[in-house]
Amino acid sequence: MSHFRAKIQDLGGFINPRVVRDHTKRKVFAQFEPDRQALRYVIHNTSLPQRVRAQAQLQLASMHAYTRSTQVKNRCVAGGVPRSVIRAFRLGRFQFRMQALAGELPGVRKASW
Amino acid sequence: MAAPYSRLLDLAKVQCRIFSLNFNPERLRLGNKILRQRLRGPALAAWYPRKTVSFRDLQETCSRSGLTTFDEYEDDREEAIQVAKLRGKGRPKKKRTAAESRSAKKKK
Repeated sequence: MSHFRAKIQDLGGFINPRVVRDHTKRKVFAQFEPDRQALRYVIHNTSLPQRVRAQAQLQLASMHAYTRSTQVKNRCVAGGVPRSVIRAFRLGRFQFRMQALAGELPGVRKASW
Repeated sequence: MAAPYSRLLDLAKVQCRIFSLNFNPERLRLGNKILRQRLRGPALAAWYPRKTVSFRDLQETCSRSGLTTFDEYEDDREEAIQVAKLRGKGRPKKKRTAAESRSAKKKK
């Protein structure tokens, strides 16, 4: 959501609105992760009273969607493409191919046998 | 010969103290697995490359310390604007009041 988005972006590579949104979600998740884990601990701890655990459940469910890790999507760093992103290089398949053929990825070469 | 259960329990207790684990012989669900998990936030937030020092930053620091810099792109742009003005293709004058903008519309 817009109130989470930074006024001045600190992104350096390819930028489009979807990349900005995903970056915002990542930062919000990192910020609220301790809170979420604390609530999850309370929920999972069976030695605590049932009422406290139920309240923690409600509180966790009422947290903003951007604080959830499932909202984060791995996007291509060079083109913002969300599909078939190679995690080790953070690149989409086509960007990976172009950069690999141009020799910009150390240790990557076209297979031939 | 098997050791008595109480001895094994003591051993487990000492083990837990040494390795700073949670001693829980009744196997209650205390949610300690949540506390053991590492935070994933910093790794996730580091996915996209961050901004590094740009030419504009350099210019800014230079101008702050009283030095002048030359930006070829900016120079070209200003020159093009001057040329356009000479040809009468500059930007129109800003309408400051509502009456001015209305009269501009009527002319059409």
